[in-house]
Amino acid sequence: MNAMQTEIAVQSEPKQSIINSRYGFMTVIITLFIITILSAGAAVSFGQVDIPVSQSYRILLHHITGIQIGDVQDLTSGSFVDIIWKIRFPRVLMAMFIGAGLTLCGTIMQAAVQNPLADPYILGISSGGSLGATFAILIGFGSMGLLGQTGVAFWAFAGAVGASLLVLLLANAGGKMTSVKLVLAGMVINALCTAFANFIVYFANNAEGIKTVTFWTMGSLAASSWDKLPLIAIAIMLAVFFFLLQFRVLNAMLLGDEAAVTLGISLGAYRKTYMIITALITGIMVASCGMIGFVGLIIPHLVRGLVGSDHRRLLPASILFGAIFLIWTDVIARTIVPNVELPIGIITALIGAPMFMYMLVRKGYAFGGKS
Amino acid sequence: MNLTVDHLSVSFSTVNIVKDVSLKVRNKQFVGLIGPNGCGKSTLLKSIYKVIKPRQGDVFLSELDVMKSSPKVVAQKLGVVGQFNELSFDFTVREMVAMGRTPHKGMLETDNQEDQSIVSGALRRVNLEGHADRSYNSLSGGEKQRVILARVLAQQPEFMILDEPTNHLDIKFQLQILNIVKKLDIGILAALHDLTLAAEYCDYLYVMKDGQVAASGKPEDILTKELIGQVFDVSCETYRNPVTGGLGIAYLETR
Repeated sequence: MNAMQTEIAVQSEPKQSIINSRYGFMTVIITLFIITILSAGAAVSFGQVDIPVSQSYRILLHHITGIQIGDVQDLTSGSFVDIIWKIRFPRVLMAMFIGAGLTLCGTIMQAAVQNPLADPYILGISSGGSLGATFAILIGFGSMGLLGQTGVAFWAFAGAVGASLLVLLLANAGGKMTSVKLVLAGMVINALCTAFANFIVYFANNAEGIKTVTFWTMGSLAASSWDKLPLIAIAIMLAVFFFLLQFRVLNAMLLGDEAAVTLGISLGAYRKTYMIITALITGIMVASCGMIGFVGLIIPHLVRGLVGSDHRRLLPASILFGAIFLIWTDVIARTIVPNVELPIGIITALIGAPMFMYMLVRKGYAFGGKS
Repeated sequence: MNLTVDHLSVSFSTVNIVKDVSLKVRNKQFVGLIGPNGCGKSTLLKSIYKVIKPRQGDVFLSELDVMKSSPKVVAQKLGVVGQFNELSFDFTVREMVAMGRTPHKGMLETDNQEDQSIVSGALRRVNLEGHADRSYNSLSGGEKQRVILARVLAQQPEFMILDEPTNHLDIKFQLQILNIVKKLDIGILAALHDLTLAAEYCDYLYVMKDGQVAASGKPEDILTKELIGQVFDVSCETYRNPVTGGLGIAYLETR
């Protein structure tokens, strides 16, 4: 590199993380947190029946804290109360947790395989999950009553976890697990599971079942309810907590195996642990709301442009961002076409893909990597 | 801190890459490792810093048994400047250098004031303090290598391994990096490919060929035209450089 080239390198100052100071970062996190809370409150107002936002807030506030503002009658009975508290609020909370969970898994997987294109679905998890669900819906236990609806969730979970274990096993075969082998193994398992699922669909003589499968693979939060929430919430919060404490390992992962070892971190065991945890979380999410694509891929990239790749900033910011994103995408999914509930996966792809294109085309952006 | 490598052998499947190599770096010595491409230099270094598992042999950093110790314990003593340096994710220069503190930190510990001043000091030593908030991937090759060096400095190692640290760099950056390293006053083992630079900076040289140590000694004693001819397969004449007074090598032709 001669002096002139060096000069050019200095001049073409690249885009920087907007927030570099500790102070600025805390502001971002607090702002995002407040937006998340406000979004969760506001999102319950939208739907087939529009409810005034102020009334939604009052109803939620009353149910959560017992504080009464305004007419007591409005807060305890009436159709709005049921719609908000029994139907919409658990769904919005579900969107919040799933959004956070998908983003978390995306961020972790991108670090674990050192590939900016990884997301919870690229490593075989999605296809495994949909194979499981397809099996349960079209062949399995529909008629057995007891296992009916829980059967689908269970088999989706089993499929997702099974597929990712298979990916791990395959990537591990014949020596050291590398990120390239992981991605390739993911592709192979994906193809295999998709083929099996298609095989089942092709020979299924069950139009209703096929429709269920289709809806399921596009993802939906419509089945959310209070009794499904605790498992998801606890699992995702535990995972968030766990990974927030792993920032040093995650950062070292981005440097590659060799550099990580020279910094005292042997990645092998960590990578496996992380993959298994993300597979479990994704399995739980897939089981309860089907496949929602693009969230885990796009949000981490977006937030990296904002706060940089350092995981002690990236993780909290992107988790909150993902939660907000899915809350509002779900609002769009249930309001954009009157009287029709769209699968949320369609909306996330419709928003996510153009965003991704923009990031691709935008000068100087190369997946947070070299330009 | 001394480095002792004892009868180290490395093989990949059936091929022996490093064959029974022993070497020693005494306290605060700058020891060079030279040899043609594919002679096993990098493999030897990698097995010393625990990236490759050797088939047999021992490595000691003073009293510390490197093979039996955890990477973290080794990383507290041993810093490595490697050849890699491309990232698919971007960091700022400061974030990059701050990662050098990793081996000294518990999982949950955050960086304190002391860490920050160590990082700033490391940046100053490689003349990059003005670049702290730049994105690493936007830097030139020479600057990147200095960032990596700063990261290793922030690690505060008592011994340093350099694997062709000046590969692909312009002469200015080569000299810069070697000067910074030389001033550290700790034990150093460096694979180098430029023989005159090796002769100028190293106190002692090991010459490798075909996975074995072909010769070792002080640079002026062993860098003869016979040895260079035999190890590197080129004809040359050596002379005393009239300007620097150091070793000069005039390459004539490949054999």
